[in-house]
Parts: sequence; C-alpha cells; structure tokens
Amino acid sequence: MKLKIKKELPYLLFVLPAFLVYTVLTMIPLLQTMGLAFTNWDGYSLRNLKFVGFDNFKNLFSDRSMKSSLINTCFYSLIFPVLATLFAIPLSLALNSKMKTRNLQRAVFFFPSVPSAMILGYLWAYILAPTSNGLLNKFLGIFGIDPVLWLAIPKWAMFSVMMVNLWSAVGWHACIYLAQLQSIPAEYYEAATVDGASSWQRFRYITFPMLSSAMTVSVMLLLLTSMKLFDLPFALTSGGPGTSTTMISHIIIKTGFVEKSYGKAMAMSVIFFIFIALVSILQLRLMKKREVE
Amino acid sequence: MQGKRRGIKSYIGEILMLGICAIFFIPFYYLIVNTFKEARAATISPMSLPIKSFTLDLYKKAFDTINFWSSFRNSLLITVISVTIIIVFGSMAAYVINRHKNKLTKFLFIYFLIGFMVPAQTTLIPLFNMMSIFKLQNSVLGMIVLYSSWCNFAIFMYQGFLGGVPRDLEEAARIDGAGLWKMFWHIVFPLLKSVTITIIIFDVMWIWNDFMMPYLFISSSSKFTLVMEVYKSVGEHASNWTVMLCTIVIVLVPITIFYLFMQKHIIAGITSGAIKG
Repeated sequence: MKLKIKKELPYLLFVLPAFLVYTVLTMIPLLQTMGLAFTNWDGYSLRNLKFVGFDNFKNLFSDRSMKSSLINTCFYSLIFPVLATLFAIPLSLALNSKMKTRNLQRAVFFFPSVPSAMILGYLWAYILAPTSNGLLNKFLGIFGIDPVLWLAIPKWAMFSVMMVNLWSAVGWHACIYLAQLQSIPAEYYEAATVDGASSWQRFRYITFPMLSSAMTVSVMLLLLTSMKLFDLPFALTSGGPGTSTTMISHIIIKTGFVEKSYGKAMAMSVIFFIFIALVSILQLRLMKKREVE
Repeated sequence: MQGKRRGIKSYIGEILMLGICAIFFIPFYYLIVNTFKEARAATISPMSLPIKSFTLDLYKKAFDTINFWSSFRNSLLITVISVTIIIVFGSMAAYVINRHKNKLTKFLFIYFLIGFMVPAQTTLIPLFNMMSIFKLQNSVLGMIVLYSSWCNFAIFMYQGFLGGVPRDLEEAARIDGAGLWKMFWHIVFPLLKSVTITIIIFDVMWIWNDFMMPYLFISSSSKFTLVMEVYKSVGEHASNWTVMLCTIVIVLVPITIFYLFMQKHIIAGITSGAIKG
C-alpha cells in the first residue's frame, strides 16, 4: 500500500497545480453560485444567510429586462452561427483557389479577429453614427437613401451587432474550413469531373460532406461565443436602445456589479449555466453520433 | 484556347476578391486616415486622405492622456506570466492524464472538460468576493491568478496532441532511471512544440484582448491594461473623436505586431485545432 502511494505520488504532484487553480477559481465559485442563488446573500458575509428557495428566480421572471436579455441571447445564438457559417464556407472556397494574392487575401479577412471586440465596437460606433462622420450613412446618402439610425432603432441595433460580429469572425471561421478543404484528395474531384458532375454537384456531394468535422468545430465555437457575447454589444450599443441588445452576460454583470442585486444575478447565472451546459451536451451528442456514422 | 479562357475567368475572380478585401478593410482605412485630421476636417470628409489638413498633434494628445507604458507593461506582465503558467500547469496535467490512465485520471479529464461549459459570468460574483478576501482585487497579480485558471483549454489541446506522440523515447529514459520531472521536461516537452505554439497564440490573443476581467477587477488606472485605456478614453474624448481613434490605433499596435510575426503559425494553429477537434 505504502509502495503504491510512493509510486503514484509523482503523477499526482504533476496534476496538482492545474487541479488547484482550476478548482479554486472555477469549480468552487460555480458551486457557490449554485448554492447562493437560493439564499438572500448580501455579497459580503455569510452571516445572517437565509435560505429563500426559488424567490430569486421568481423575481427574475417578473423582471422585464431579464426576460428580454434571455430572449436576445437565444435569438442571437440561433441566428448568428447560421449566418456566419453561410458566409464562412463560400469565403473558404474562394480563399482556397490558386490566386496569386491569396496570402494577402487570407491576411486581410483574418485581421478583424485580431483586435479586442471591445475596441472594434467603439470603432464601428463611429462608422454607424447618424452624424456626418458616420461612414455608412454617408455612403447610403450617395444613392439617395436617408440616414438610418443603426444603433438607435431596436431591430437595426441587433442587426448592427450581428453585422460587426460577422465582419470580425468570418475570416477566422473560414480558416477552420480552409484547413479541411486542403485535406480533400484531388482525385475525388477528378473522378467526379470525369463522370460529368457539375460544379454545384461537386460541392454538394464531395466538398460539403467532407467539411463536416470542421463544421462541428466551427459551429460549436460560434454557439459558445454567441451565448457568452459581451464586449461587442457593450461597446457598440451598451445594450440599447432600451434592452434590445442586452445579452445575458451583460445583464448578469449589470445586476450583480452595478445594481448589486446579488440574488438575482446569481439566479440568472444558474439559468445561464444550465442553458450552456444543455447546448454543449447536445452538441457533443450530435458530434459523437456523426463520428459513429 | 480553353486554358486562355480559364485564365481570364480566374483573373476576374481575383479582381473580385481583391475588391471584397478592399471593402473588408475600409473600417481600418477609416480608422487610420482620420487619426491625422482634426475632428472638424475628419467629420466633413471621413474618407479623404489627410493631405490638406495633415497633423500629428492628435497622436501627441492621445499619447499624453493615456498611460501607455504603464498599461503596456501591465498587459505584457499579465499575458506573459499567465500564459507561461497555463503552459506549464496544462502540459504537466495533460501528460499524466494521457500517459497514466487510471480511474482517477479519467475522472480528472472529464472534470477539466466541464470547465468549457462554465461561462466566466456564472462564477464572477463569488470570484469577486474571493479575490477581495485574498486582497487580490485591483492588482496585476490578481489578474495573473485569474487567467491561470483558464488552463483547461491547454489541457484539452495537449491531451489530444499527446495521443499522436510515440512513447519509445520515454520508455528508454525510464529504463535509464530518469525521474518523471526530468523525463517530462527534457524529452516529452520538446516534442510538444507545435501544439505549444498554438496554445500560446490562442491564449495570448484571449488574455491580451480580454475586457471583462480588468473591467470588473481593476479600479485604479495604474493597474490598467491597454484595452482598459480605450474604455477610459471613450468618456474623455467624447467631443474629440479623432483623438479617440488615435488611442485605438496606439492600443492596437502591439497586438498587430504580434499578429504579423505569428501570422503563419496562427493560421496553421487554427487548422490543426480544427482537424483534431
């Protein structure tokens, strides 16, 4: 027994540092959130702690901004991954061609994913402004289109957040597909061409199925980042107008750190965690199923 | 004949793609061009080149209002130290999980995987409380500690990569009587170079660009990171938007240099991640 421990000890010591930081800074706070969401915690001491059951959750659903942020995040994480995929796949096909300037093209399309999303949000706020420095409205003005209040009308504000996010993320996701495209054997296409397949048929029956594993990775990343989206709407619209672009992560920070309603913020966190966990498990299941096939 | 026609077709395709590239790049053109114009000139013609009204004063103004060197130092310290910790802790843990399979390490792998499902926002409030108890709030050290807990991504990547690394060398070293520590750092770790570069790139970009953590955990401007300088400047330069654009350009310089140097590795890194994923 003693010998066994002595043999195992070096291995345990190897895992210990990662285990400790991860446990203390991720798992313990997670469990605390789960527990404290059912109490009247004041944010400071654990004295006078009282179990209040589902009260915090009840308050949550009577709060309109909470409800709308939940709807916004659901809407965003349903639409944005589809949108980004629809643009990333054609872009990756274009970047995969044998053009002379393809390295330059790749660099240009990738570059918007380099700066912090927060900084890009502030930059785009100027571009979308209704004043005369607002580039987009100026451009539309050439065609006689009246200035659009991109960031002040709820539906356009949501559209703007998606558009800027698409601009910044599409190059990165095209790179994921690009890698997979390069691994498709050229013989497949040659054989298909001999058989007289059109270029659409070649895409539909060779390229698209071969992209499936890249697609799983890309869609998973898009889903997770859409659900956690914070920096971009924070800088671009600060969640407005009203609550039309306020996301779950934004409202948790707002209620928890600005309004200091800890109970509500933690109840929201619990819902957020369950939401993300369900989506990830579902995604993993689908991935496994596909691999088996 | 056919070859020629195809040549023209691909030529058109290339011009089309370059056109789309140009449109894609407009926001950055707009950003840079207007940093050399006074606010009024820029507002009148935001797309023109700064020929008539060229000025460098705005950069001076922007540079004077932000604490560039102090924030740059903080960003650099936080990023370099926390990424180093992530690499060291992550590779060691992944090695044991991959090579020393038993019930405990199998459990640990799933335990670390759960972290992917935990959005940072759900842990923030207890974390904030914990950081203030340990007096790590509003400190560079605190930020390093916070980011170090992002090691589960590294564990996941290393674990996947180790599956394809042959064990012969390790077994030979074992027979020669090398201990685990020495064997890992001298023999195994050098073999992990390519995945290490990928992890470094991802984590540097995440940590350097992160806004949420410094926004919540840093309050005094001497502890600001570069991204925080932009946030602070928005209020200060509300009336002088071209100075604000200068601040953005200044803040973007270091990460752009990083990108230019690592560009080849970045795209290759995303690629390798995708195929394994």
